[in-house]
Amino acid sequence: MSPQRRHRSGVALAITSGLVMTLAACSAPASADDQSYASWDEVVAAAEGQTVKLWMYGGDEQGNAYVNDVLVPAAAELGVTLEQVPIADTPDALNRILSEVQAGETDGEVDLVWVNGNNFGTGKEAGAWECGWTDLLPNMALTDPADPLLLDDFGTPVDGCEAPWHKAQFTFVYNSDTVTDVPTSLDELLDWARANQGRFTYPAPPDFTGSVFVREVLYSVSGGYENVPLAFSQDDFDALTPALYAELQDLEPSLWRGGETYPQDSNELNQLFADGEVDFTMTYGPATLTELVANGTYPAGTKVLTFDEGTVGNASFLGLASTSGSKAGAMVVANLALSAEQQAAKAEPDVWGQFTVLDLDQLSDEQRALFEALPESPVVPSYDVLSENANPELAAAWVTPIDEGWRQLVLTQ
Amino acid sequence: MSLALVSPALLIAGFVVIGGIGMSLVQSLGLLPLVGVPSLSLDAYLANGEELLIGTGLSLAIATASTVLSCIIGLTAAVVITQGRRTGRIVAAVSALTIPIPHLIGAAAIGLLISDAGIIPRMLGIPGTEWPDLVGGPWWVAVVLEYTWKESAFVALVVAAVLATRVARYDETAALLGAGRARRLRHVVIPLARPAVIVSAIIIFVYTFGSYEVAWLLGRPYPEPLPVLAFRLFDSITLTSRPEAAAVAVVTTAISLAVVAIGMACLRRTPLWK
Repeated sequence: MSPQRRHRSGVALAITSGLVMTLAACSAPASADDQSYASWDEVVAAAEGQTVKLWMYGGDEQGNAYVNDVLVPAAAELGVTLEQVPIADTPDALNRILSEVQAGETDGEVDLVWVNGNNFGTGKEAGAWECGWTDLLPNMALTDPADPLLLDDFGTPVDGCEAPWHKAQFTFVYNSDTVTDVPTSLDELLDWARANQGRFTYPAPPDFTGSVFVREVLYSVSGGYENVPLAFSQDDFDALTPALYAELQDLEPSLWRGGETYPQDSNELNQLFADGEVDFTMTYGPATLTELVANGTYPAGTKVLTFDEGTVGNASFLGLASTSGSKAGAMVVANLALSAEQQAAKAEPDVWGQFTVLDLDQLSDEQRALFEALPESPVVPSYDVLSENANPELAAAWVTPIDEGWRQLVLTQ
Repeated sequence: MSLALVSPALLIAGFVVIGGIGMSLVQSLGLLPLVGVPSLSLDAYLANGEELLIGTGLSLAIATASTVLSCIIGLTAAVVITQGRRTGRIVAAVSALTIPIPHLIGAAAIGLLISDAGIIPRMLGIPGTEWPDLVGGPWWVAVVLEYTWKESAFVALVVAAVLATRVARYDETAALLGAGRARRLRHVVIPLARPAVIVSAIIIFVYTFGSYEVAWLLGRPYPEPLPVLAFRLFDSITLTSRPEAAAVAVVTTAISLAVVAIGMACLRRTPLWK
């Protein structure tokens, strides 16, 4: 054999063995899952010494600080090592789980995920989540069993596949130093944007925040959320969305940079707002604003805008990956995160400022006192005020077609 | 014998590269769906046909601009470095400093410097509305700038290393024979540097063609270069879009391999190649 020939057969060998090994790894059968527990005591016993990786959006410094400074030490006291894995976007975590499901992994890199909405719905469809475990958590008793926000997540029944973590209220934020004629409805906000060229924009869907903004506009042009069926059907989509895209196309020339481009994500929009390039921003987590104004990131005149017709509200959850090898530890962390102490600490504006999922009526006097002691914010009204007239989220099946339609008809036109 | 020595590295590299490409190919042909029954089809390639074409054009433009600028600036810097004077040592030091900085950091820094509300417009006192759209603008200026900044330093060091070993001797000979500066540059330095420049250009082109983070951070949501398109599809919560992402990756790989082949053909034609 000439050196050249030998060289070639070596490469061929590498190719074949590479392919064979990769394919073999994919078709390996999943080993039987023995991580099922009959009682909470069994969970606590099995959790001892486990390491739990919590994958969550890492672009929120307060969120990172809460997890690392408050939740991680509390988990350590229960014998569980909690590690935060910061990610750019929740689909990163879902994708990782789906890859692991595809590869038959049973001790995957993802244990818990901060998740909700279409990520949850899609993951449930593809078997990414462990289900039926939240009944075991003792602290579930502190929530309202009939709370619609905790029963359905963007139209997908929760079915014990994720444990509630906090509530979110979509909110518009404005700079009261520059905005004097304050809009009181979404329709008026869009008119304001047309009257003040280049001072308003929104993040490009599929960014989570940009995506909900487009759905808010859909509610608005349809004459209120009551007129948009929450469950997806192609007929409703065809009937309702032309008005939505026409409105957004009409709005486009008035946006920041003449609508030629959009911020890639909500961080970029927040940056524009902080730099005074636009007068509005928007967020699912308004309680974090108090700290952002206090530390000077946002202008002192930052105020929350409430609309007569209300805005979308939802709850976010901790999902337990079906490929996790530390399910007991993950359940202990999910239960801990639901405790009154953790929920109250997380609600502190200078910690994270997230609204609790607990039902204050179910709490003991001592536990309720923790929430009553929370300071009032000069920037953000209380959750009761914000969530007044809260609109429900559309089913997850709506989200992708609306975002895709926006791409086709607004972004690329 | 020589093959036996490199075979461990070859096996590992082959496993990762060929295995990865093979998996992408299998997925892009619909044989490895997340949900549903595997079936052989080209749907994934056709699903985003127009975006795939636009993305290919954009990626080619970004990679070509970055490669050409990097080679011109890098070659100039290499010539300055091999002159061996003080300026040469400074240029060499600055180039070497650039190498360990990751592209991600470079992109973030460029964004902080030249975006609408960046450090430079602030220092110059120019309001964001009057500052050109360098970041996220229609001409992808910040993206090309970031690649050029980093890759021209790479070209400078590679070419300078090649020139340093032999240029002095030939340059002196040519000078003794009466060649002026311009002629020596044209007939001695550039021919000597050509193979190294071509190899660097191949590496830069393939890298910038397939790189994601710089284009995402400093680019705009539409149109999308191929890696950004692939990542968005891969990350989409629509379960059926994974094969489409794999298809974009396969197209990217095929174009990269074609560019490598063209580059190698050019390399063979250089007089110094044996």
